[in-house]
Amino acid sequence: MARSPLGTRFAWTHVGLVYAFMYLPVAVIALFSFNASAIIAFPLQGFTLDWYARILVDARILGGLGVTFAVAIPTAVLSTVLGAMAALALTRHALRWRKTFACLLFLPFLVPKVILAVAQLIVLSELGITKGVTTMVLGQTLIILPFTTLVIASVLIRLDRRLEEAAADLGASRAQIFRRVLFPLMKNGLLAAFFVAFVLSSSEYVVTSFLSGRSQPLSILVASDFRFNLSPTLDALAVLMVTANLALVAIGEIIRLRARR
Amino acid sequence: MATDSDRGGRLALPVVLVLVAGCALPLAVLFVFSFFQVDFVAILKVPTLKNYIKVASSPTYRSLIGQAIASGLTVAAISAVIGYPLAWVIAKRVHFMKSACLTLLLIPLYTGDLVRIFAWRVVLGAEGVINAFLMWAGLVREPIRALLFSPFATHVVLTYDYLPFMVLGLWLAFESLDDHLLEAARDLGASEATIFRRIVLPLTSPGLIAGGMMVFVLVVGDYLTPQLIGGSSGVTVISAINDLFGTAFDWPLGSAIASSLLLILGVLIAAAALVVGRSTWGRAVVGGE
Repeated sequence: MARSPLGTRFAWTHVGLVYAFMYLPVAVIALFSFNASAIIAFPLQGFTLDWYARILVDARILGGLGVTFAVAIPTAVLSTVLGAMAALALTRHALRWRKTFACLLFLPFLVPKVILAVAQLIVLSELGITKGVTTMVLGQTLIILPFTTLVIASVLIRLDRRLEEAAADLGASRAQIFRRVLFPLMKNGLLAAFFVAFVLSSSEYVVTSFLSGRSQPLSILVASDFRFNLSPTLDALAVLMVTANLALVAIGEIIRLRARR
Repeated sequence: MATDSDRGGRLALPVVLVLVAGCALPLAVLFVFSFFQVDFVAILKVPTLKNYIKVASSPTYRSLIGQAIASGLTVAAISAVIGYPLAWVIAKRVHFMKSACLTLLLIPLYTGDLVRIFAWRVVLGAEGVINAFLMWAGLVREPIRALLFSPFATHVVLTYDYLPFMVLGLWLAFESLDDHLLEAARDLGASEATIFRRIVLPLTSPGLIAGGMMVFVLVVGDYLTPQLIGGSSGVTVISAINDLFGTAFDWPLGSAIASSLLLILGVLIAAAALVVGRSTWGRAVVGGE
């Protein structure tokens, strides 16, 4: 298959084009966030940091950022802990209902988010639960759980099980094995999962918009701005969010790769 | 003495409880609601099949469901065509920084739905990057308005959004494809086309189906992209459900449409899972080790 130089060159050109396609929108946003014009259009008008400066004094955006953190941190903790339990159950034990469990675990990924959100909405209204930070945390945890489970499971699969068996042979209890052997080895996977969950939580929109009450996180505020007025401030905000997310993903990825060695 | 399965079960139990309470149970309630009816601002909890009859007899809802499935299949096919050579190169031709290549491909996923859509509006808009370039190059006199707020734009952005999932599925399949098989076939005098048709394609098809299934499900369920990129073509079955739960306040009808869609998706996913599960590759992945 494509052994010929021509075929290989074609394949590499294709790869280059796909990566360009994936990064074009991100690059364009970055470009306009530094453009000295309120209109997002060519030609460019010169360099400015004004749009970034405006974000830092915008009380509404800063308030939204606060809510985002209030939701994303508990969500990341919860989905990492649950993801670790699911990953351990899947990779370390002979589970009787293994397939059913795996299906249930990926159900929130497979069901369209709007449908999942309206179903949760019915339950909340039947039970008379007020929407707010707690409902957002629970709703997001469900849809992020498949991702954290995969990240942690990918680390667990590569761990040498003989280390645990050796510890057991030497008389360590199950709790000791977990605390002294397994946990230190999977710690990096947990951190990586935490970062991925944090990033997914802060950028999630659909489920969050259904389950948010009065306290609105940044993603919801951006969405309403975005429908009515496109401004370079949004560009700058997007660049900041993407940069922060990329930094977190990069840290998570470095940690995860270290865990493999 | 607790068995290993019991211990695994104890570990899985809290996760199962959360998933049942947060996902399975609400979906069951949604299904129950699809048999109720609405009376002005109240929901009458009297069982009826009226909503399903409405869904089945309304050309609008039928065609919206059909369109969603057609979009899902189209985008899955486009991403397969784009993703196949890409996954091959990453799996078989990249030796140095392989995981960096994959990570680089996944990073746009972490930018968030809204930021991505916002960026594509800037790229495709009448005063956007592509039109500015075409005008500057003298290829067109007026900006092509159909680039944005059209089904074309929706499909471009949906492909952008979900391509990484396709590549991931394909990449896993290519990684487990043994190069010795190809060499053996070549030694026996098979042409490149024959090798592709008889060995590479069959052995990577589970990855193709798994990736395609993910893309399909995500496209059918996408709410924001058609709404904010598709313009007047942005009405989808998902936005219809959303409206019935919002301004239109007909939860039972919305539930019936949602249940019908879930049923169709469930059948398609089960069919795909059956195909993947039967292959050796699928057994290796689902089976764990």
